[in-house]
Amino acid sequence: MYIYLPIAEVSLHIAVIVGLGGGVGFLSGMFGVGGGFLMTPLLIFLGVPAPVAVATEANQIVASSVSGVLAHWRRGNVDFLMGFILLSGGVVGSSLGVLLFSILRDLGQIDLVIKLSYVVFLGIIGSLMLMESIRAIMRTRQPGAKRGKLHQHNWLHGLPFKVRFRKSKLYISALLPFFLAAFVGVLSAIMGVGGGFILVPAMIYLLGMPTYVVIGTSLFQIIFVTANITILQSVQTQTVDFVLAGLLLFGAVIGAQFGARVGVMLKGEQLRGLLALMVLGLSIKLGIDLVITPQDIFSTEFIR
Amino acid sequence: MIRFVLMMMIGMVVNASEGMARQLVADLSSDEVSITTDFTGQNLLLFGAVSNVPATSDIDKSSDIIVILTGPTLPVASRMKERVSGIWINTQTVQWKNAPSFYHILSSRPLAQILSDETLQALQIGYKNLNLKSKNQTDEIENLDIWQDSLARNMTAQNLWQVDENAVSIIRNALFRAPVSLPANITPGDYEVRILDVRNGQLIAEDSREITVQKAGLGAFIYQLAHEYSVFYGIFAVAFAIAAGWVASVAFRRN
Repeated sequence: MYIYLPIAEVSLHIAVIVGLGGGVGFLSGMFGVGGGFLMTPLLIFLGVPAPVAVATEANQIVASSVSGVLAHWRRGNVDFLMGFILLSGGVVGSSLGVLLFSILRDLGQIDLVIKLSYVVFLGIIGSLMLMESIRAIMRTRQPGAKRGKLHQHNWLHGLPFKVRFRKSKLYISALLPFFLAAFVGVLSAIMGVGGGFILVPAMIYLLGMPTYVVIGTSLFQIIFVTANITILQSVQTQTVDFVLAGLLLFGAVIGAQFGARVGVMLKGEQLRGLLALMVLGLSIKLGIDLVITPQDIFSTEFIR
Repeated sequence: MIRFVLMMMIGMVVNASEGMARQLVADLSSDEVSITTDFTGQNLLLFGAVSNVPATSDIDKSSDIIVILTGPTLPVASRMKERVSGIWINTQTVQWKNAPSFYHILSSRPLAQILSDETLQALQIGYKNLNLKSKNQTDEIENLDIWQDSLARNMTAQNLWQVDENAVSIIRNALFRAPVSLPANITPGDYEVRILDVRNGQLIAEDSREITVQKAGLGAFIYQLAHEYSVFYGIFAVAFAIAAGWVASVAFRRN
């Protein structure tokens, strides 16, 4: 059965939308990631206009982050003070991102910037994750290897406005998480992602947060950032497709259940290695698309 | 509906057999199209009777019918990519002032055989004769032809523009019918349908109809909400997502 999406203004088969949600939900359940970085490019590939894909995905991520954060909250794995500083930075950054998005759209460069951001950031994160998981797999094969320091101290830890984060066992400058979240917020708004795939490694390696509070805290702040993007895009560009978001969500909820079950059967290093390969693969695919000669160098679009 | 159309046609044949002078008459199987949630495009039937004018030339030429469907004009931009340090980037943009969002031409024979180039131009039939102008008229666009061709090519690829020179069938030089197909990606608005009766290279009669395309049902309601109460819509979308996330989390815990 085909369904005409009222905001995207395209007709898609309902099984395709729910199936896409389910497939991405499966992977996000298995790897413990949001999946926005997969969903948004796939929606664009299906013919959903890029602005609608980005704004709608923000709406869907609100839901998946809420269900994720509740599980972490029950286990007490959310650092709310850190979360609050992150979300204030995230809200500022994502507001700027929405503004930047509409400027780039008017200039006709939004598709390019979306794709370039994907290539650059997925490429960097994918390579880092791959190297890290290879190293981890090597280490498990040499049980005598020494464990490194918890985190390195550098000039970033010397910034002013130092705050004690009890839950994260940190005493660092509030500016650090604020600007980190602001930067990721800009990317969230432009790429249609929650930004967890950048925020999580940054919180571990840059801020030095303990791994167990990182996921819950990043999910907590992603709720507010994506909610902010959803409302701002609704007001400014009317590109949030509520029907599309609902159908994707339905599939994602079911898919995530199965994904989580498969995930527990695999080892952490293996999971991260697989995720890294997937992220790198997507980055390379999008990179090739930018470089090869397009079938038609002319394109036409309706300006809304 | 098909039975109704057939009866209409039979009625017209009976009328034609009476030998009275008759105008070109055309109608559509439906002149209202609703874009509802299950909309995947719509096929309509255009039908009618050709005009019954005595042949003026020595050779009794039969009629040719040309149907032109034109959708609402929207702001449309064409962009051209160029390779900049290895990457393909949109470097030039032309914003069209008068490009129709929908333009289908249906005819009974190839247009070039029906009318001369000059007449096609005068009647504004065909992509080349749309007189497309860019928004910033002051500076003349270089290679306007290339830009016009690219617009036509891109619109044709989306089934929004089309020329089908075999679509109109004429029955016994009295009746005609043509399938009109509106794809799922059409823009709501008023669609103008021009029907031309051509004989011996000359336009002898013309009729016009209108199709109203509008969003309807739940989809229309959501679209209206998103555009007229956008703050409320945004807040509602977020509230819905939070509720859905909470429900999912409860379901997760039970398992």
